[in-house]
Amino acid sequence: MQGFWQEHLRPLAGSASLHLALVGVLALAALRWTSSQPPVQLAIQGYVVDGPVATKPVPQPRSAPAVKPPPVTETVKPPEPLVEPPQERRAENDAAAERAAQAEQERRQVEERAAQERNAQLARDKAAAEQRRAEEAERKRAADNEAKRKAAEDAERKKADAAEARRKAEEQAQADREAKARAAREADLQRSLAAEEEASAVARSGVMDEYRALLVQTVERNWIRPPSARAGLQCTLYVTQAPGGTVVDVKLGACNGDQAVRESIATAVYKSSPLPAPRDPRAFERRLEIVFKPTE
Amino acid sequence: MLSNFGALRPRAAAMMLATVSLLLAAVPGHAQLRLDITQGVRDAVPIAVVPFGGQAEGGASDVAAVVANDLRMSGRFAPLERRDMVARPTSGAEIRYEDWRLLKSDFIVVGRVEPDAVSFELHNVRTGASLLTQRLPSSEKGRRAAAHRIADLVFERLTGIAGAFSTRIAYVAVDGKPPAQRYRLLVADADGFGPRTVLESREPIMSPAWSPDGASLAYVSFEGKVSAVYVQTLASGERRRVSARAGINGAPAWSPDGRRLAVTLSRDGNLDIYTLELATQTLTRVTSDDAIDTEAEWSKDGQSLYFTSDRAGNAQVYRVALDQARKAERVTFTNGYNARPRISPDGKELALVTLDRGGYRIAVMDIASRNLRVITNARQDESPSFAPNGALLIYATRDGGRGSLAIASADGAFQQRLSADQGDVRDPAWQPFGPRG
Repeated sequence: MQGFWQEHLRPLAGSASLHLALVGVLALAALRWTSSQPPVQLAIQGYVVDGPVATKPVPQPRSAPAVKPPPVTETVKPPEPLVEPPQERRAENDAAAERAAQAEQERRQVEERAAQERNAQLARDKAAAEQRRAEEAERKRAADNEAKRKAAEDAERKKADAAEARRKAEEQAQADREAKARAAREADLQRSLAAEEEASAVARSGVMDEYRALLVQTVERNWIRPPSARAGLQCTLYVTQAPGGTVVDVKLGACNGDQAVRESIATAVYKSSPLPAPRDPRAFERRLEIVFKPTE
Repeated sequence: MLSNFGALRPRAAAMMLATVSLLLAAVPGHAQLRLDITQGVRDAVPIAVVPFGGQAEGGASDVAAVVANDLRMSGRFAPLERRDMVARPTSGAEIRYEDWRLLKSDFIVVGRVEPDAVSFELHNVRTGASLLTQRLPSSEKGRRAAAHRIADLVFERLTGIAGAFSTRIAYVAVDGKPPAQRYRLLVADADGFGPRTVLESREPIMSPAWSPDGASLAYVSFEGKVSAVYVQTLASGERRRVSARAGINGAPAWSPDGRRLAVTLSRDGNLDIYTLELATQTLTRVTSDDAIDTEAEWSKDGQSLYFTSDRAGNAQVYRVALDQARKAERVTFTNGYNARPRISPDGKELALVTLDRGGYRIAVMDIASRNLRVITNARQDESPSFAPNGALLIYATRDGGRGSLAIASADGAFQQRLSADQGDVRDPAWQPFGPRG
């Protein structure tokens, strides 16, 4: 006996584990089949981008509506209670026995039929259940496909919507920019009009004349006229002054004077630096055109 | 540079000009304030002439001192006093413009004396521009000449007028008291420095006149008790008596071509103007009026003479065309006395002595307009003579019976006595540029 175990332990254990494995696989398969749930519908976040085109995602059923199978009512009626006829003695007893046997047989037949019917009903029920399950699976698959299609459609639409939204946003931005530029131009115009208005106001008030006279006086006082600077001379200097009046640049324009004249006028302007400031700062002008044209 | 420019094709030059004028036209913008400057000042230009490196300060050949004095003498410059100078730069790289601006100089001259040359630079302190950089060959003995040349170049660069500091002056000095008087004809630098005696005499010497080439002098000398006109070449000392006619021989004046002299002679009983061809001794009478005609001066074209005449009762200046000798016309009408005309280098003006508000003063008359401007203000000024650049005149001014030399600018803005003290000085004449100019 000991030797047998030793000899057959391995094959036996192998066979047992194989059986166990098979059972496990079957159980798993069964479990899997029954636990196959419809995929969870992904809720795709959508942005409401614009009024008229905003489309809310159509709520999707989380699962197909459960179609209830019609209730199966088993109406197996119990056999009618047999009423034994009154016995007539022996013969009667025999006949009664016979009748009893016959009744028994009939009862058995009825029972058999009932069992058969029950079995058929069971089979029918089973088939119906099978059918229901298949239909259910089919519906689920269809629903799944539909959901997938819808999701894809949604995604596509979202993409299109987003593109449209971007385009609209860009158009809007462009429009904004143009509006802003227009506004800026108008503001500029307003400003320059205002500046002109102010300048003419300044000019009207005599501040400009006063400033000009101040500058002329300063430069004339610093211009040591060389003998070659006679009537008929005309030389222009383009002068740039810093806000403090410091002369930062002097450029010679048209000039019919000699070297000495050119030297003297540039010297006069630099010597006048810093140039006097106007009484009203609005009259200040960075760029000056100074024309040297002695009268005698 | 000049030759490069000269090498430009006319079309290229024209294009350059066009470009320049386009640029110029493009400069003006609308936001500019336009100022018209119609006046300036006649102030002297402030300039710093820094002592030159390479030589001790002071002394007769102190180059910077000579330059500064020339410029000061012109009346157009006010050189900065040395004691006010805070630095002694000797090259442009060493100049700190702001220092000199604080000292209120507009320009600065720096330089160095080397054994065989003098180099200098002129800078504009206000703009920072370098205006001149030159090296003039110069020996130890020629320092003053180099200095005068530097003054000429600076003067020309800043006034537009050629400097005349390298020219000389001739004049007569009288020492002693009568009867032991000594007369000397002298030639000196324009600043009065380094007088050299051309002629010395116990008898009067008068009216020196420079030949147009600046090489000879004509003058009147009374040596031998009678007057005669002489011509003397300065370089050789050789001299010639060209007119010693009976009576007065006076007031020589050179024709522009240097071939003739206008002189005043009394040989015909009255003082009249004659021309004398030097090479042939041909004498031609120009005026024949009963009045005194003297002090002739040639017009620039040599076709007519200006002279002084009292034919209208008092001295006035007249002009006579040499080919219409009898038709002299009066040219001065302002003031009761105008005499001793001297033509300006450009031929457009006459310097003369005028009686102005009780004093004899030097005036300059514009020939075309006859406008007369008095340029001196002493009581007895005489003998004006234009510097060859026309910017200045030299003249004699008498004060207490003693004459001295003075310089005035032709526009009348400045007068300055020459410091040279050689006794009683008179009859100055400024040397022309001559062939070098």
